[in-house]
Amino acid sequence: MPGDPIALLARSQRLSPEALELQRVAFGLDQPLITQFGVYVRETISGNLGVSLISGLPVWELILSRMWPTLLLVGIGTILAAGIGVLAGIRGGWRRGSRFDSGSLYTSMVLYSTPEGWLGMLLLILFAGLLGWFPAGGYSSSTSSGTTDVAMHLALPVLALALGYVGQFLIVMRSSMMEVKAQPYIDLARAKGLTDPDVRRRHAVPNAILPIFTLVVISVGFILGGAIVIETVFSWPGIGLLTYEAIQTLDYPVLQGVFLISSAAVIFASLVADVTYGLLDPRVGAT
Amino acid sequence: MSVHRPLSAVAIAAAALSGAVFVGGWGSSAWAADDATTLTIGMTVGIDNPNIWAVNSTSEWSAVTLQYDMLMKFSDEDLSASPSLAESCEHNADYTAWTCTLREGLKWSDGTPLTSRDVAFTYRFVIDQGFSYFTSYFPKGSTFETPDDRTIVWNSPEPTRGMDVPPWVYIVPEHVWGAYIGKTNKEIKQAAVLPNVASGPYIMTEAVPGQSWTFERNPNFWGTEPAYERIVFRLYTNQEAMVQALKNGEIAIADGLESALLPAVEAIPNVAVQKITADSWVNLAFNFGGQDPAANPLPALKDLRVRQAIVLAIDKQAIVEKAYQGAASPGETIVRPLSVYWHLDIPDDQVTPYDPDQANAILDEAGYTRGGDGIRVDPQTGQPLVIRMPTSNDTPGSDIAGQLIASYLSQIGIEVKAQPVSAGKMYDLQQSGNFDAYIWYWTGDPDPNYQLSVFTSEQCGDLSDGCWRDATYDDLVAQQASTLDQDERLRLVREAQQYVYDQVPSIVLAYPNSLTAYRTDIVADLTPVPAGDGYLTPSYSYTGMVSARPAQLTDPAASASAQPASGDSGGDAATTAGEPSSTSTSGPPVWLWGIAALIILGGVAVIVMRRRGTEDRPDTH
Repeated sequence: MPGDPIALLARSQRLSPEALELQRVAFGLDQPLITQFGVYVRETISGNLGVSLISGLPVWELILSRMWPTLLLVGIGTILAAGIGVLAGIRGGWRRGSRFDSGSLYTSMVLYSTPEGWLGMLLLILFAGLLGWFPAGGYSSSTSSGTTDVAMHLALPVLALALGYVGQFLIVMRSSMMEVKAQPYIDLARAKGLTDPDVRRRHAVPNAILPIFTLVVISVGFILGGAIVIETVFSWPGIGLLTYEAIQTLDYPVLQGVFLISSAAVIFASLVADVTYGLLDPRVGAT
Repeated sequence: MSVHRPLSAVAIAAAALSGAVFVGGWGSSAWAADDATTLTIGMTVGIDNPNIWAVNSTSEWSAVTLQYDMLMKFSDEDLSASPSLAESCEHNADYTAWTCTLREGLKWSDGTPLTSRDVAFTYRFVIDQGFSYFTSYFPKGSTFETPDDRTIVWNSPEPTRGMDVPPWVYIVPEHVWGAYIGKTNKEIKQAAVLPNVASGPYIMTEAVPGQSWTFERNPNFWGTEPAYERIVFRLYTNQEAMVQALKNGEIAIADGLESALLPAVEAIPNVAVQKITADSWVNLAFNFGGQDPAANPLPALKDLRVRQAIVLAIDKQAIVEKAYQGAASPGETIVRPLSVYWHLDIPDDQVTPYDPDQANAILDEAGYTRGGDGIRVDPQTGQPLVIRMPTSNDTPGSDIAGQLIASYLSQIGIEVKAQPVSAGKMYDLQQSGNFDAYIWYWTGDPDPNYQLSVFTSEQCGDLSDGCWRDATYDDLVAQQASTLDQDERLRLVREAQQYVYDQVPSIVLAYPNSLTAYRTDIVADLTPVPAGDGYLTPSYSYTGMVSARPAQLTDPAASASAQPASGDSGGDAATTAGEPSSTSTSGPPVWLWGIAALIILGGVAVIVMRRRGTEDRPDTH
């Protein structure tokens, strides 16, 4: 990234050249890059993610303070997107060509290709601005922070996130359902006299849902990365917003900490997906 | 067909109805207005660390200003020095000693007496720990004596203007920070500080990172008791959302608005906008080279005639209208207008006009003839006048200003390659000198010394925009820094400003107003500092927060004619604080929710009945 974070402090904190140099030494930025990297690896292994260049607070503390709002927003939004997408994909894939299938497919594709920030702004203007049904941003009201209050603040950002991501789950689930529906065992199930809903529920969905399972688990892994755009639009104090602020101020320790946490979460989620996939699908488990 | 399907559909619809009624009932009152005891202020920059020693962002400065006192403060009138914790300060004959007397009965928020020892401790602490924001006010070798609890003596090894400046240093309690003597700055900045201990009207008691910061009224404040029990800063990272929050009544004041939103804000009923006199300025700085051996700025820009022609070719008023929607004034001198005492207003008949014809004439006379492509050529070097001009995206209006300047200069045969870049990239360019001119901004202190000093030769490679080196200017700045006579210093400061205006190392394009909007039906009596078009929120003083009070309803019709803060108490504003404004949106009436629920129930019933006819039909493929 362009820019020297210490030089940025020269203007904002009126640091003299001598004070700038002291800051550079304090953060180890006067050392060769390879030495800096070695220190970074050593400290990270020992659990020390360093301190923010701007606030001076430990990076761990900053990330932890934003963890819960992130889990709330991205967690609920992802679950909602996955739930709606899977259900709609099941129905659309089972009744391919129906009005529901066409409508849901096109709608989700439009939503998926819509920029999140723009979608969020539309919801904000409509529901918070014109209608006044929801607050305009933040985690809670100034004088109240009960569950219901937080829920009302959470509603619009969750909706924006869910609408933006529902398309990916719907398309994958739909495609998987169509593939499974063409399998011979589905015909056999019907031949046995099972009703259509039973065939779908007991034979098609369990097989079709395997690919989507991986997608859902990986998406859960991305939760800890936050949702930068959505959090910025709705002033939601999550890790995404922390990342945005750190990018603006070139707060490298915070950025490194966030990238480390979110990368680890995705890797762990991938591992969980690999392990549990074998448990869910005996064919994969046997090999 | 399962009998549970229609029942489950009805259950879903019933839940939707319940939720709708609940939401409708909730939404109509939960955040429509502040309560009468709390003043909520929307901000666009957060407080990363509430610790005074980690102060950095504008909101952090506001938080510190709201909680702490200086020994002598910036006056509410014109930001000159005036009594605060000290009721008086006197200097000796040669300005090497300042003796200040504290007010009687001062206390910290925890009830501990505030004495001269706290003042002496604070000054020694900032010097010993090297907190650069604060140390520049004290000549090296300064010492502090406390002959009694109310007297502090500042001894300086050299004459100093001292308390006339005044030192922008907030006094902190020794009984809290004394334990940190000798600690590293890292440890000091990580100290837990809440609930805070300070002497100002409000004390921070709660900080929700990235969200809100709550200040409670200080029961031991030495000044007038504020009307509000509590002040809350709320962070909005989206300006449009903050405007909506103001409209909904979620916040009473929206601070730091962008000028692009001004028309939308001004259209909101019961909202007044304070266009604050600029404490910053946007400049087009020229590069004279010397930052780095590889720096290669356009040599023609070292020619004063070329720079004068560029000034003549730029329509600053048009930049004010198009880049700032009128929420700015054309720039002139390098000391910001908010420093009312020091700022030099160039007389109208001496202001460089917008005159591209004269600009062309100057360049023609200087020998910069146009090439076949219309671009003028430097007669000394043969180089075409092509200016690489990055514009910093942390400077509002810079992108539009850059485009306008490119079009203006094309009329006088100068090509401009304007390129928006990040602030980080700007620092790289400033240090490397790899540009010809750039658009950035400056802000500064009420005292002009810092602002004047950044144009001196010694700042080349440090803070200087383009390494302009001029011995006459350096001398002027040095003289004003050492002059103790206030009138003489004022003359020198103004002469320095005039000199920069005439020599054009940088063109001050505009003085953008800071914008604060507030609900006249929720809050009244916000005192601007400095007087007139000053800040309503704590920037240089907490006076506005002390004088603020919930607006009282006396005449409903008066809400339509609510006036801005300056010159008007706002006492005739609309509704009683705590009740929704009659014109604010607060959710649809509950009966509408009932109708919506009936429609949903009806739709569900239709869908269920239609599905009964298709459910058992076998699928064929």
